[in-house]
Amino acid sequence: MSLSYTFKSAIKNILYDKWINILCVITIATGLLFTTITWVFVYNIDASLKKLPERFSVMLFLKDFVTQSEIDKIIKIAKNNTAVDKVIYVPKDEALKQLKKTLKNTEYVLEGLDVNPLPDSIEIRFKDDALSPENVKKLTSTLNSLNGISEIEYGEEFLSSLYSLKKGLKIAGIVFIIILAITILFVSYSTVKILFYRRKEEIETYKLLGAKKWFIRAPFIIEGSFLGFSAGLLSYFGVVTIYYLFFVRLSLTFPIFKAMIFPLNYFILLPFLGTFLGICGSVIAIGRIRY
Amino acid sequence: MIHFQEVSKHYENQTALRKVTFEVGKGELVFITGPSGSGKTTLLKLIYLAEKPDEGIIKVGDFEITNLRDSHVPVLRRQIGIVFQDFRLLENKNIFENVALSLRIRGESEKDIKAKVFESLKVVNLRHKADSYPKTLSGGEQQRVAIARAIVSEPAILLADEPTGNVDPDTSTGIMRTFKEINAKGTTILIATHNRELFRNTGRRVIKLDQGNFIGEDIG
Repeated sequence: MSLSYTFKSAIKNILYDKWINILCVITIATGLLFTTITWVFVYNIDASLKKLPERFSVMLFLKDFVTQSEIDKIIKIAKNNTAVDKVIYVPKDEALKQLKKTLKNTEYVLEGLDVNPLPDSIEIRFKDDALSPENVKKLTSTLNSLNGISEIEYGEEFLSSLYSLKKGLKIAGIVFIIILAITILFVSYSTVKILFYRRKEEIETYKLLGAKKWFIRAPFIIEGSFLGFSAGLLSYFGVVTIYYLFFVRLSLTFPIFKAMIFPLNYFILLPFLGTFLGICGSVIAIGRIRY
Repeated sequence: MIHFQEVSKHYENQTALRKVTFEVGKGELVFITGPSGSGKTTLLKLIYLAEKPDEGIIKVGDFEITNLRDSHVPVLRRQIGIVFQDFRLLENKNIFENVALSLRIRGESEKDIKAKVFESLKVVNLRHKADSYPKTLSGGEQQRVAIARAIVSEPAILLADEPTGNVDPDTSTGIMRTFKEINAKGTTILIATHNRELFRNTGRRVIKLDQGNFIGEDIG
């Protein structure tokens, strides 16, 4: 079997059925584009939730006459917990300074206070991968039994609902991406199947003239990979257009877009993903050739 | 070369062939005749395995095709040139490419393909139509292209199903002349036809079928 003939034959077939092929390319490209955009959102949600441990902390407010040895014991126990990243002791004077800094122009609310009303406190931060409602609860119940702590504060409900949301969004995103990927595969498969049916007579003639299976299959697989590659390329241009049109332009007006991550470098893989899908679609559509 | 022994073929509610037995020797030109529905086309289809027999034994050349493995079917078919009743020309390929297809399937070189296709088109007097597409040709011309495609690979066996069905008497005579020339080179030829004129006074064997039954042999 001549390779150049197979390629020529595939190209001729693509041109011969150009309208259905164009439609197929647009459909697959649209599917890939939607998948990519969904992935960008899932990626961003995941990335922003990963930053959560930096912002989340458990605050231990200490009793007024807590001893140094009690403070050391609390810090030691907290530090020994494998989920904990940092333990910061904040004396009441430091806390007041921070409060004044936060209040800035509304500092007058503190006027008239002769005594610092704030307690000494200990701030506990968790490791990125260890922050979970279970780990926080485990630590706080240990700390609760220690002397010197008057109050433990952390948004318990907030944390668990945030984690449920994170899990939910991640699962929904993955499910959506899987559905889209299956849809794309199905579209590729259906298109090649249609092409296959349209050329059923031709394939039958090939078989009757003594063509071996790969002589029949090869042009279809080349066609499938070409359609997939074109769709991938088209969706890549779509993604780039969306990036410049929305993210770059809109981020000038709406700063929220600036905070979003758009990993444009990854999307150069789209044409290859399209090619892979095209080949899979062709192979499944052709199936077994029987004589 | 071709051996049928007690071969039967049934379709859902019809018997296409019933216990047919005959033999065609190497280099023979044999006609198969009978009215429409007598089983001529089915008989040819059984030879190139477009259909499988329900009973009996069929041998074609060195192949016992009754139980031929799937992978050997293309090998068998490459030894056979077929002129299909409905021509089976590919509309998206020009005449040159239609005829060349038989050779491309066999993996022949571009140089050989070019030489053999033009030679074959010359035999059927269609060299000037090499760049045309099947749709632009008359029924008779399409039939001649089908013949060119069947003979281009110089097969050991040539099967023709109503090869003069769509042509005028002059063209018909020309086609028969071509078959005789090919046969003179040693190709075994089997022609299915209902046209008695085609085999009259040819001195060739004529196998007669009627409603799927072998009803005898004659000399044309």
